[in-house]
Amino acid sequence: MTVIDLVMRVDSICKKFDKYDVDKQKNLNAAGDDAFARLYSVVEADLDAVLQKSEAAKIEKSRATAVATNAEIRRTKARLLEEIPKLQRLAFKQVKGLSKEEREARSDLVAALKDRIEAVADGNISAAKQGGDSAPSASYGGIKFGSTYDGRFDDDYFQQTEESDQFRQEYEMRRMKQDQGLDVISEGLDALKNMAHDMNEELDKQVPLMDEIDDKVDRATSDLKTTNVRLKDTVNKMRSSRNFCIDIILLVIILGIVSYLYNVLK
Amino acid sequence: MPVSDPEKLIAKADKLTKLSLTRWSADWRNATLLYEEAANLFRVAKKNEKAKEAFEKASKGQEMLSSPWDAAKDMESAAALAKELGNWNEVSDFYRRASELYMECGRPQPASDALVKAARALEDTIPDAAVQLYNEASAILEEDGKEQMTFDLYCAASSVYVKLEKYSAAATSLLQLGLAADKCNATNSQCKAYLGAIIVYLYAHDFKQAEKCYNDCSQVDAFLRSHQNRCASKLLSAHTEGDIEEIKRLAQSSTVSNLDHVVIKLARKLPTGDVSAVKTDAAKEEEEPLDEDDLT
Repeated sequence: MTVIDLVMRVDSICKKFDKYDVDKQKNLNAAGDDAFARLYSVVEADLDAVLQKSEAAKIEKSRATAVATNAEIRRTKARLLEEIPKLQRLAFKQVKGLSKEEREARSDLVAALKDRIEAVADGNISAAKQGGDSAPSASYGGIKFGSTYDGRFDDDYFQQTEESDQFRQEYEMRRMKQDQGLDVISEGLDALKNMAHDMNEELDKQVPLMDEIDDKVDRATSDLKTTNVRLKDTVNKMRSSRNFCIDIILLVIILGIVSYLYNVLK
Repeated sequence: MPVSDPEKLIAKADKLTKLSLTRWSADWRNATLLYEEAANLFRVAKKNEKAKEAFEKASKGQEMLSSPWDAAKDMESAAALAKELGNWNEVSDFYRRASELYMECGRPQPASDALVKAARALEDTIPDAAVQLYNEASAILEEDGKEQMTFDLYCAASSVYVKLEKYSAAATSLLQLGLAADKCNATNSQCKAYLGAIIVYLYAHDFKQAEKCYNDCSQVDAFLRSHQNRCASKLLSAHTEGDIEEIKRLAQSSTVSNLDHVVIKLARKLPTGDVSAVKTDAAKEEEEPLDEDDLT
């Protein structure tokens, strides 16, 4: 049994019963002076996080989430693997209070850590590439123009005259031109298809926005209606015909009194 | 308008807000109105520094009046002026504050819009901060469930990463785009994002990553059945065979030309480095299993 195996087993047992080890919890805070221990604990914590993510990715149902998670896992793995040389260099440094055996054990620890990082699964399964190829060729191979010409005319069956030669050449030229024209059309169609897809997605994006606008405008309309009705009521009250008549009658009475007084005083 | 007027307005507003023996509580309402008036006058007179300060004070006033919407709007105006002045730290601070205020109102969309404006302003000067802002804006939108808006953001983030030459981060952004597109059933954008990610990996000369990425993406149904899948597989096989002509021809094809600008530029620059080295790697890998079989 190698040192690495021993170390890994002891590590897993210790981790299991870590919470009962009061001394270790105290020492975790005291390990601040030792650069190696600090970096090691940081890398180990990152490695645990990556392992959790890879477990989550394995049971993930949505493939797209799995793709994104796997990419992140790979990036983190690359970053951690970069830290390993640093760790190795620190492992060889002499730190006060550390015996020679412990130093050697540290370089073994670093190697074990590197293996663990590389062993993290990142969804590296080779997919059925063939499945993608066969389907399209079936869909596109089906379009064949009814042409039985395959470039060979058996010379036994006929002899070429000048006229037929010229005719064949003309046929070839026209066929080439047609092919070029069709290529241009196909490129144009590709561009159109892409634009159509993009327009489709853009409209899909705008549907919920339109719904929101709809709601807001509905609310604003009903607010306006209520306000209008109240305004009409208020204006009517101000200008109601009853008040108007009362005003006119009082005015007439006042004029009558004034004219009576005027006549009396005259 | 003469310049002294806005100064007087600011002085008056300051007096209204300073507490002293004669004034026991600050009159924020009038003060805020005065600040806003002064800020507009400064802006018209092109005194950007003073206008910015006035907008800041107006925003604080609005906060005191507990109207976070107006406060956020004033903050945004202040940030736009800071952008003209070139105080990049202030730009990002102001826009962040504005975004927080919008979130207080419970309107995540304007919040993320504010962060996006900040990111655009900082793209050329502090690209690191710009990508961070883009990522924060995307996070806000995703929390709100509006993944459709995040497409543009991820695209912009990945182009900034490419400018910074952080190719793996750029590819990761594109894959996140693919994820968001998947949630909205936007298959075209999803496939374009995946093809873009594969091209970025190939440009970074990271053939293994590109292959792994392709294998992952092939497991997504929508990608499997698409044009982009075929283009990607042809690109990868052309790389393994070291066929430079084929790579160049594929880069000119219409499938690649429909992708994002930045990705098209990368594709046209393919193949980078030594394609034949990739070929020998692939060949060596095939030889080893043969050796094991030879142990008869």
